[in-house]
Amino acid sequence: MIKFNGVNKWFGKLHVLKDIDLHVTSGEVVVVCGPSGSGKSTLIRCINRLEKFQKGELFVDGTPLHDYSTNLTKLRAEIGFVFQQFHLYPHMTALQNVALAPINVRKMKRADAEALAHEKLDRVGLADKADAHPTQLSGGQQQRVAIARGLAMSPKIMLFDEPTSALDPEMIGEVLDVMVKLASEGMTMCVVTHEMGFARQVAHRVIFMDEGSLVETGNPHDFFANPQTDRAAQFISKILTH
Amino acid sequence: MMLFYFQRLIEIFPFFLKGLWMTAVVSGISLIMATIFGLLLGIARASKNKLLVGLIGAYVAAIRGTPFVVQIFIIFFILPEWGIQLDAFPAAILALTILGTAFICEIVAGGIKAVPRGQWEAASSSGLNLYQQLRYVIVPQSLQTILPPLVGQYVLLIKDSSVVSVIGVMDLTRVGWVTVNRIPEGLMVFTLVGILYFAISYPLIRLSNRLEKKMATQQVML
Repeated sequence: MIKFNGVNKWFGKLHVLKDIDLHVTSGEVVVVCGPSGSGKSTLIRCINRLEKFQKGELFVDGTPLHDYSTNLTKLRAEIGFVFQQFHLYPHMTALQNVALAPINVRKMKRADAEALAHEKLDRVGLADKADAHPTQLSGGQQQRVAIARGLAMSPKIMLFDEPTSALDPEMIGEVLDVMVKLASEGMTMCVVTHEMGFARQVAHRVIFMDEGSLVETGNPHDFFANPQTDRAAQFISKILTH
Repeated sequence: MMLFYFQRLIEIFPFFLKGLWMTAVVSGISLIMATIFGLLLGIARASKNKLLVGLIGAYVAAIRGTPFVVQIFIIFFILPEWGIQLDAFPAAILALTILGTAFICEIVAGGIKAVPRGQWEAASSSGLNLYQQLRYVIVPQSLQTILPPLVGQYVLLIKDSSVVSVIGVMDLTRVGWVTVNRIPEGLMVFTLVGILYFAISYPLIRLSNRLEKKMATQQVML
């Protein structure tokens, strides 16, 4: 589904992704972790080309992303992206946020798109907030609307870039619950997160990044119990005692 | 004598209304066109295309850096040298549109750049094409930054339209000149001209202030 072959990226002189090789299969849930500045956000932002890279190959659902002539609009419609800061459209209601892309990209009739949006909002537990504007919602609610917005396009892949990092602690659970449910339904997911509980519970694989390199990868049980590298061990001890 | 002139002025008042109408028509057409072109150029100016940004920047600098009266002379007197003949009326509209577009495109570009990058990212991530991103996500949000100075710009454009009298458009200002030849009470005549300009500018100034307040409260909500 997602295939990185020797991907390298530089921001000016800074080498932010170093020879990334990674293969994510359909239905797999991959958690990417690592210290800040390790390149993990950049990595998943490459998957729908919010970031370009200079060297290597990346195929997403068979589409070559290293080829800049690729029609991104079409591919992006198949990939949901959830941001740390939600980025809901502030001038629209929750319902309008969710229905916008189905109406304009999938060319659905307004009534059908709104029915779909109601269904997705219901799925994230916000059926009663359809007419609320983002400013009237808590952070956790906003993030769940953002997830519903992604799901409304029936994506093949969902990407999450630190979806709970901007939330107050008491709201993290409600967002993770939605994500756990999604994972259990077989969605292909790449999640950048520090929520190791989530990783343990649903990840098929944990990837540890440091300084732009993919340092270690393994199933969550082995990764937490027996990290193979010192850097991973240090990282785990830090976040677990945290 | 004063009273006599005042009565004369009232007699020819319909002439002033005609001038006012001409001012309204010339500036009205120009500001509609300037808004359309300003929106398009403003969007281009906020883009990443360096060539476009540079070209528009040069145009804006040229317009901002020269007096409007010179611009209108260039259009009215120099274009004919190259075989382009324009009557005073279309020349006035062309000149005002070029002027207004330059200022409006800067306002629009500023408004678009003020929309956080995350909004572009969210919109493009959900598969909207560039036009849809602008139409549904970016432009509606930039309106709150754009509208107050845009309406302010309309006021400036209406006042600048008085310059078109120099090429013979019978606008409000020119009506004033012509009248002064018959009624040699400059103060009286041009006070009337001023009042009539104020009558169309003031509602717009009020509107601009109101928009500014309204947008400010919306900003707090966001």
